[in-house]
Amino acid sequence: MIVYILVALMFFTGLYGIIAKKNIIKIIVGINIVGYASNLLFILLGYKWEGIAPILTEDIPINYFVEKAVDPLPQALVLTSIVIDLAFVAFLAALAIRLFERYGTFDMDKIRRLKG
Amino acid sequence: MSHLIILPVAIYLGAAFLIALLYKKDEKLSGAAAISFVFLSVITSIISGIDVFTNGKILYFAGGWERPLGIVLMLDPLSSIFLIMTNIIAFFVMLYSTVYMEKYTWAPYFYTIFMIMLAGMNGILISMDIFNIYVFFEVASIASFILVAFGLRAEELEASMKYTVMSFIASTMILFAIALIYGFTGTLNIPAFMSEASGLSPVHLWFIAGLFLSGFALKTALVPFHTWLPDAHSMAPAPISAILSGMFIKVVGLYVLIRITTNIFIVLPQIRILLLLFGVLSMVFGGLMAYGQKNIKRLYAYSTISQVGYCAVGLGIGGYLGSLGVLMHFIAHAFSKTLLFLNIGAIEYIKGTTEVEQLQGLNDSMPATTLFGSTGMLGIAGVPPMGNFWSKLIIIIAAVKAGYTGIAVLCIIVAIITLGYFLKLQRTVYYKKVENPVKKEAPKMLLFPMGALALLVFISGILLVPGIKEKTLDKAVSVMENFSYMDIKIGENR
Repeated sequence: MIVYILVALMFFTGLYGIIAKKNIIKIIVGINIVGYASNLLFILLGYKWEGIAPILTEDIPINYFVEKAVDPLPQALVLTSIVIDLAFVAFLAALAIRLFERYGTFDMDKIRRLKG
Repeated sequence: MSHLIILPVAIYLGAAFLIALLYKKDEKLSGAAAISFVFLSVITSIISGIDVFTNGKILYFAGGWERPLGIVLMLDPLSSIFLIMTNIIAFFVMLYSTVYMEKYTWAPYFYTIFMIMLAGMNGILISMDIFNIYVFFEVASIASFILVAFGLRAEELEASMKYTVMSFIASTMILFAIALIYGFTGTLNIPAFMSEASGLSPVHLWFIAGLFLSGFALKTALVPFHTWLPDAHSMAPAPISAILSGMFIKVVGLYVLIRITTNIFIVLPQIRILLLLFGVLSMVFGGLMAYGQKNIKRLYAYSTISQVGYCAVGLGIGGYLGSLGVLMHFIAHAFSKTLLFLNIGAIEYIKGTTEVEQLQGLNDSMPATTLFGSTGMLGIAGVPPMGNFWSKLIIIIAAVKAGYTGIAVLCIIVAIITLGYFLKLQRTVYYKKVENPVKKEAPKMLLFPMGALALLVFISGILLVPGIKEKTLDKAVSVMENFSYMDIKIGENR
C-alpha cells in the first residue's frame, strides 16, 4: 500500500511543477516526473513481491511459475509509454530552445502575446 | 480475413516514410506523392465503408492472435463514417496545402508529419483496444503539436507550448485510467472490459470514467478544458487549423467520448449528465467569446468550441434523436469549418492578414473566395438548406423530447448568436463597399478544394433524406444505441 501512496506523492510533485512553476525548464522536469509516476503505477500493478521473471523454462514447475511470475503485459505497455514520454520531453525541449530564441526568456509569465 | 481495414493506417505510415526519403529530390514530387497517397486512402476507406454498411462490422486480429489474447481492430458503421470523413477532409486539405505551403520552407517535412498525424487519427478509429487507442492518440497528438508550431513564429511556438503541456496532462489522465482498468479487470480489450465492468464497485468505475472523461474532454476542448484551443487553432498554418478544427478534435476527442459514453461505460449512464453540462457551457461560452473577436481565425476557433458543444449536448441527451443529431452535426460542422479555415487561409495568402479591421470589402477583389466563405458561414450558422440547420433542429427536438426544455432554449439562443456574429463578420469583411478595389483572386488550387467543400456543405443534408438515412446514419446510430459484443463468436471476423 505504501508504494502506491509514494507513487501518488510523486505524481502530485510533478503536477505541482507543471501547474505552479513559471520556468519552462521546470515545467519540463515536472512533466518528466509525472510521466515516471504513471509508468511506475502501471509497473506496480503487474508486480508481485519477490516475483521471478516471466520466462518459463523446463526446470521451473508450472504451479510455481503461475504463483511467482510477474505480469509481463504492463512492462510491455510501459515501454511504449516511456517512448511517448520521451517524444513529449524531446519536443518540449526543442520548443523551449526556439522560444528562448524568440522571447529571450524561459519565464511563462513573459511569454504572453496571445490573449482574448 | 480482410486486410482492407488496416490499409488506412498502413498507407499513411508508408507514405510518411517514402516522402521523408523523397524530400531531397523534389518538393513538387513529394507534394504529388502525398496527394496520391491520401487519395488511395480515401478509396480504401470508401470500399471498406461500403462493405461495413452492407454486411456489418469487420473484425481484424492483429498478428493473427485471436481475442482475448491479441489486439482486436474493428470497423463498424460508426467508425466507418468517421474514417471516410477524415480521409475526404484530409484529401481536400492536402490539395490545398501543396500550394499554400510554398511560402513555408521544408514543405516535404510538413507532408511527412501530416501523414503521421493522419495515420494516428485513422488508427484511433479502427482500434478496439484501450491501450491501442492511447498509442494512436499520442501519435496523432504529437504530430499535431509539431504542425501547430510549423511556422516557427513566436506566437505559434507559444501556442504550441500551451497545447503540448495541456495535452500532456490529458494523456497522463488517460494513461492512469488505463492502468487502473488493467489493475481492476486484467484486460484492455473493450468487449472484455464491458463484460467485467458491472463487477466493479461504483467508486472505482466513477474514478476511471472521470479520468477518461476529463482527458478526452480536454482534447475535445469542452469548456472548462478549452483554454488551449483558441491559441493553437488560430496560430497554426491554415491547412492545419482546418484539419485540427474540422476533423482532429472530433476524432481524438468526440469519437472516443462517443465510444466511452455509449459503448465502454454502458453501466454508468450518469456520465451523460456531465457531458450535457460541459456541452451547454462550451456552447454558450464559445458563442459569447466569438462575438468580440478581432482576429478572424480566433473567431473561428471560438466558434468551433461552441459547435462542438452542440455535439456534446446531443451525446448527453442520448436516445435515437440525440445520437443522430451528434453524427449529423459532426459531419456538417466538419465540412463547413474546414471550408472556413481554408477560406481565411486563401485570404491570408493574398492579403497577408487575418485581422477584421484590415480586411474589408473582399467581394470586389476576391469574388469566388467570398462566395465560398459566405456559404461556409451560413452553413455553420444553420441557414435552412445546409446540413447544420437539420442537425441543430434534431438536437433541439431531442432536447425537448427528453424533457430538457431549458437546454433546447439555450441551443436556439446560441444558434441566433452564431448567426449574429457571422452576419456581422460578413457585412464588414465581405460585403462592405470599398473604393478602387484591386481584383486579385486566390490561385485555382486554393479555390478548388474550397469549392468542393462548399458544395458538400450545401448538400450534406442529403444524408437525412429517408432511404439514404436508413442505409448510412441509422446504422451508426444503432451502434451508439445498443452496442453488444455478445454476438461476436471467437474465430469469426464479422
